[in-house]
Amino acid sequence: MPKKLSPSMQDYLETILDLSSTDDEVRITDIANRLNISKASTNQAIGGLVKRGMVTHRHYGPVTLTEMGRSEAEKIRYRHDVLKKLLIDVMKVDPEVAEQDACLMEHTISQETLTKLVSFMETYVVGREETEMPEKTYTRLSDLMVGTKAIIKKIVSSGSIKKRILEMGLTVGTTVEVKGVAPMGDPIDVLVKGYHLSLRKKEASLVLVEVV
Amino acid sequence: MSIVLEKRPEREKRPAPITVAVAGNPNSGKTSIFNNLTGSHQQVGNWPGVTVTKKEGQLVMGSTKARIVDLPGIYSLGAYSEDEMVARDYILSGEPDVIIDVVDAGNIERNLYLTTQMLEAGGNIVIALNMLDEARRQNIHIDVRALADRLGIPVVPTVARLQQGMKELVEAVLEDAGQSKPKPFRIYYGELIESELEILEELVKTVPELTARLHPRYVAVKLLEDEDWLHKKIEALNGDTRERLMMAAGDSINRLRKHYGEDLDSALIEQRYSFIADLLKGVVTRSEDKKEKDTFTEVVDRVVLNRYLGIPIFLLVMFGMFQTTFTLGAPLSDMIETFFAWLGGWVAGGISSPLMSSLIVDAVIGGVGSVLVFVPPIFLLFLIISILEDSGYMARAAYIMDRFMQNLGLHGRSFIPLLIGFGCNVPAVMAARSLENKGDRLTTILIAPLMSCAARLPVYVLFVGIFFTAYQGLAVFSLYLLGIVLAIIAAHLFKKFLFRGEEAPFILEIPPYRIPTLKTALLHMWERGSQFLKKAGTIIFAAVVLVWAMSNLPWGVEYASQESLMGMMGSWLAPVFEPLGFGTWQAASALIFGLLAKEIVVGTLAVVYGAGEVGLAAAISSAYTPLSAFSFMVMVLVYSPCVATIAAIRRETDSRGWTAFAIGYSLVLGWVLALTVYQGGKLLGLG
Repeated sequence: MPKKLSPSMQDYLETILDLSSTDDEVRITDIANRLNISKASTNQAIGGLVKRGMVTHRHYGPVTLTEMGRSEAEKIRYRHDVLKKLLIDVMKVDPEVAEQDACLMEHTISQETLTKLVSFMETYVVGREETEMPEKTYTRLSDLMVGTKAIIKKIVSSGSIKKRILEMGLTVGTTVEVKGVAPMGDPIDVLVKGYHLSLRKKEASLVLVEVV
Repeated sequence: MSIVLEKRPEREKRPAPITVAVAGNPNSGKTSIFNNLTGSHQQVGNWPGVTVTKKEGQLVMGSTKARIVDLPGIYSLGAYSEDEMVARDYILSGEPDVIIDVVDAGNIERNLYLTTQMLEAGGNIVIALNMLDEARRQNIHIDVRALADRLGIPVVPTVARLQQGMKELVEAVLEDAGQSKPKPFRIYYGELIESELEILEELVKTVPELTARLHPRYVAVKLLEDEDWLHKKIEALNGDTRERLMMAAGDSINRLRKHYGEDLDSALIEQRYSFIADLLKGVVTRSEDKKEKDTFTEVVDRVVLNRYLGIPIFLLVMFGMFQTTFTLGAPLSDMIETFFAWLGGWVAGGISSPLMSSLIVDAVIGGVGSVLVFVPPIFLLFLIISILEDSGYMARAAYIMDRFMQNLGLHGRSFIPLLIGFGCNVPAVMAARSLENKGDRLTTILIAPLMSCAARLPVYVLFVGIFFTAYQGLAVFSLYLLGIVLAIIAAHLFKKFLFRGEEAPFILEIPPYRIPTLKTALLHMWERGSQFLKKAGTIIFAAVVLVWAMSNLPWGVEYASQESLMGMMGSWLAPVFEPLGFGTWQAASALIFGLLAKEIVVGTLAVVYGAGEVGLAAAISSAYTPLSAFSFMVMVLVYSPCVATIAAIRRETDSRGWTAFAIGYSLVLGWVLALTVYQGGKLLGLG
């Protein structure tokens, strides 16, 4: 991290990540509406994020996260989730209050405290994916080079596409190997559970893996 | 080979003692097993309400009678596609006494996923562990007895391609059918989920409507998965029960969400897979003495899917497919045409009344002839497609072309139908059947007629030869290109406005290469080809008779003259084509005739100008300018698909609305484009 992002910038990033998981295209208007901020100031803030290389945005076009922006946003959301879980599950705070407080705390908490919190949660609270750091060493299946072997860690999607990916055998803990790329660069050919599966990079990007 | 196709599957008439369904993953050899069991006595139809092909037949082995139903190849009992819904509904209907689950031994882990789902649903299942020879070659060894013991169901090793294990399979099925109720099968989903399942199961047990055919536990699992079909079932229950079920399911899901978050669905799927992994421990052994040895398929694919060679090889295969179809098919078609011409002449000689003779020769014999002319190219094309499918190349073609088709918002599999369209639009429309997603399939069907088929070429050749002598190739090429560009634009618009949000994910298996069997390929060809003949044949025949009547009525007029109904209609329609540059009754009549088959436009022009093929050039060069000729060719390219294609569209979409839309949009598009060409050209001073 070159420079620490201001809390409001972090909120913008998190909002873009949220919106991009449900909408095809994230526009300035959507972000402004979600955060209840004027379009003009949203525009300015997005300009700031563009300068930092976190997002790409052209006039009137959609806002998209860059690799760096996405990983930063995921870190912020992760902090948010851990804090919220702590407040709700351990401290029995009312969920609504917990949501608000987590929003405030996530910007100020130090990396050290956070790491300690995670290990605390792992020890005392039974949880699965939430207690893993998704962004640390995970790569997208779509980004792997041909010949790379990796273990599936998480499917970042929902609904029928997620179900389809899992049902074809791309479950968490499974080893996959990228066997090839189609002549025009997409889709890719993956060896999973002993058979060859082809999937578009768009779908493969939903599969987070750890290279072995 | 004797292939008997009965008109309609009529179960009620002769109820078979038992009903056996054949289920399994795509590429598991399911069709071969079905073909082996039924011989060639198959009936092909559609599942009610959907365009999924339904095949059934009678068991031909031994003395026992059984009805065999082929289910569509599926990966799970989810509800993503019509195929899966059909299979799931049938399995859950309780109609099949036994389900044969065809499992690819070389790919057993993923294949068993469907098995566990069917077992949970409560099916009476016999596994055909297929392609054991292939698995052995991959150094995969399966302890069949241990597998059967652990699953608690019969497992029969088979090699369907070589007819091995069929007798044993039938024996196991017949034995299993005698048993009353399948033993309860359960997958352990972990403590948290189990305790919720227990609550839901107790509740479900009190609702007889739900447990009549399904295991209560299966219903409970599906409640947690919040499946649509179950939701609909519950909605139909009476108020109190409905509320109680929905509340209980909601509560359970909420409690589990606290722990699993959004990953409840994944937890269930992962548990099924880890159940399978545990089950297979010690059952499947892979001897990996030569570490990471590449399979035959992988070696071939290094060339066939190569970055530089992949596309040239693909184009070569497609070119070969066309060449074979049309070089072998054209002479056969010519022979059929010649035969019917001879037959017509022979029959005409024996009938004294000219009207009767014309009715029989031109309408009836001509009608049958114009249907049968399609047989050689269509059957050949389907034969080659079947061979390519069974060998495993089609999946690779989709893989190679997917990136290109994504630009059109379409699926890799759409490429083949569109390419076939350059030969003939009819098989193109039918080949769209391989697309799972409804939006993709309809888009492909709707744009396929824009591919300039071989029948349109004679029209281009005639006009280009008269008006564009210096640029013949370029002029013809521009029309083909125009069709492609229009198809791209139309695909975009249809996907955007008609089939929004229906994009199918591209998650496809690439099966190993396999040697296709002639029997399966021929059965496939017959199945598709005969469907075309049955359905499209009647429409084409009716259209030929209609046009004959219109050309000869009122009685006594000269065939297809201005005084005939056809000529009158042509005169009446001519003003519509005035702004396009060809507002003559002759042009209008030719276009009407062209609906039968586009190449007929040429013959019609010869008749209506009262000229032979030689005098035709002179007649046309005085009736058209180069600009109006081009405008006319654009109209011939785009305006309405021919009746055979319309019949195919009607058949494949199973919808009058979409058929009407296909005709309507192309008529409007053709008219507007021809208008643009003619008026635009005039403005530029080309007229």
